[in-house]
Amino acid sequence: MYRKQVRRRRAVLALLIVGSFALLTVTYGQGSDGMQRGVSAVFSPIQSVADRALKPARDLVNWFDETFDAKGRNARLHEELEKTREQAVGAQAAEAENAQLKKLLELDESGTIPGGYTEVTGRVIGRSPTVWFADVQIDVGSSDGVEVDDPVVNGDGLVGKVAAVTGGSARVTLIADHSSAVGAKIVPSGIQGVLKPSVGDPGDLILDFLDSEKRVGKGQSVVTSGWRGQGVESDYPPNLAIGEVVEASLLQQEAQQQVHVRPFADLRDLDLVQVLTGGSRG
Amino acid sequence: MILTPNILARLVAIVIGGVILQLTFFSQVALFHVSPDLLPALVVVLGLLGGSLTGAVCGFSAGFLLDCLLIVPLGGGSLVLIAVGYLAGLFRERFEIHSPLVPPLLCMGLTLFAEIGFGAVELMLGLDDAPVSTLVVRDILLQSIFAFFGGWVIYIGVRRALRPALVEEALPRNRRPSVLGT
Repeated sequence: MYRKQVRRRRAVLALLIVGSFALLTVTYGQGSDGMQRGVSAVFSPIQSVADRALKPARDLVNWFDETFDAKGRNARLHEELEKTREQAVGAQAAEAENAQLKKLLELDESGTIPGGYTEVTGRVIGRSPTVWFADVQIDVGSSDGVEVDDPVVNGDGLVGKVAAVTGGSARVTLIADHSSAVGAKIVPSGIQGVLKPSVGDPGDLILDFLDSEKRVGKGQSVVTSGWRGQGVESDYPPNLAIGEVVEASLLQQEAQQQVHVRPFADLRDLDLVQVLTGGSRG
Repeated sequence: MILTPNILARLVAIVIGGVILQLTFFSQVALFHVSPDLLPALVVVLGLLGGSLTGAVCGFSAGFLLDCLLIVPLGGGSLVLIAVGYLAGLFRERFEIHSPLVPPLLCMGLTLFAEIGFGAVELMLGLDDAPVSTLVVRDILLQSIFAFFGGWVIYIGVRRALRPALVEEALPRNRRPSVLGT
């Protein structure tokens, strides 16, 4: 009985396999358009109804898939955006740095920096956190030839002077620091004075001890005087640009002998600077 | 399986319903960019419940209907699904199914076999010149995983539909049966 069953089973299996191969042969030999068209004609309406009925369910499943896909795409786009933003920021920083270096180069070529000085270019790597001290740290030091009291400039003008040095870095006291005092003069009139800071406001310097007999006009430029006499000399060479007079009322000049000066250099936003090493100070 | 006209009608309905559902629903949805192919899983379940002969016949019928409705060369789908149904039935006749994990695992394995088989048939029928992407491997694996989960549901549903014909369902209640046990 069991053998008979097995034989029958094998026979049916063989029949099915042969039938399949026959179908394949028929399809490739003569084609089976008629048979397929008949079956399709019978089942097409059923398929059509099922297709319409199942559309909401299909849409639901596909919505899940698309949502999942969109989530992944969103994350990918975020990553790309971050990369692009980093690149853009990098490009902007490079552009700004380029502009600063160009200015420094122009400063070198313009002859503003007196002969005998060697410029050492450094980058600001630290900044005093309090409003009371206007100091910055730069990444050049004694190993680069930087010494205490060397003047420091950037492409816009005087920044300050070196207050302390180590092998690879230096601390620069800005002209806006409360301890700073720079011998300065108005050009072209040549009126001399001492430039002092207004603590807490690096954008405002006071040119003090002016000759009350002489008048200073708004918009006039202020440069270092580079004075020297009786064994004492200024830390700064002459004619380094500092800033321009922004407030010069008659009352101020006569009663207080001072005017307000805005520095050319943006002391709040320093990046690249040049330390003027060597040379005569006076 | 005890084949009566009623059960035969149910089997026909299951096969036709399965093919139509595959064409109108599963083939048109995408999960992880892959459409599930649950037809091999259906044939596996029919083979497991009905034996090798039922599995082979159902495989042939499903393949034939699929090829007809897709208007592709006839015989290729049948050939693959015959093998799937027969192997599933043979497994049921040779081994006892003690774990409820066996049917879905078998669905997964035989779906993998079927998808590779479909690929082999396609190669025989003239895919030799077309470049085959390695993504095919990922798709086949995903379809096998879908078959694991789909097979579970199909097994429960089809077993319920064919319950009157299943020998183990007629066992006395005091006898502890295996999942498909005798």
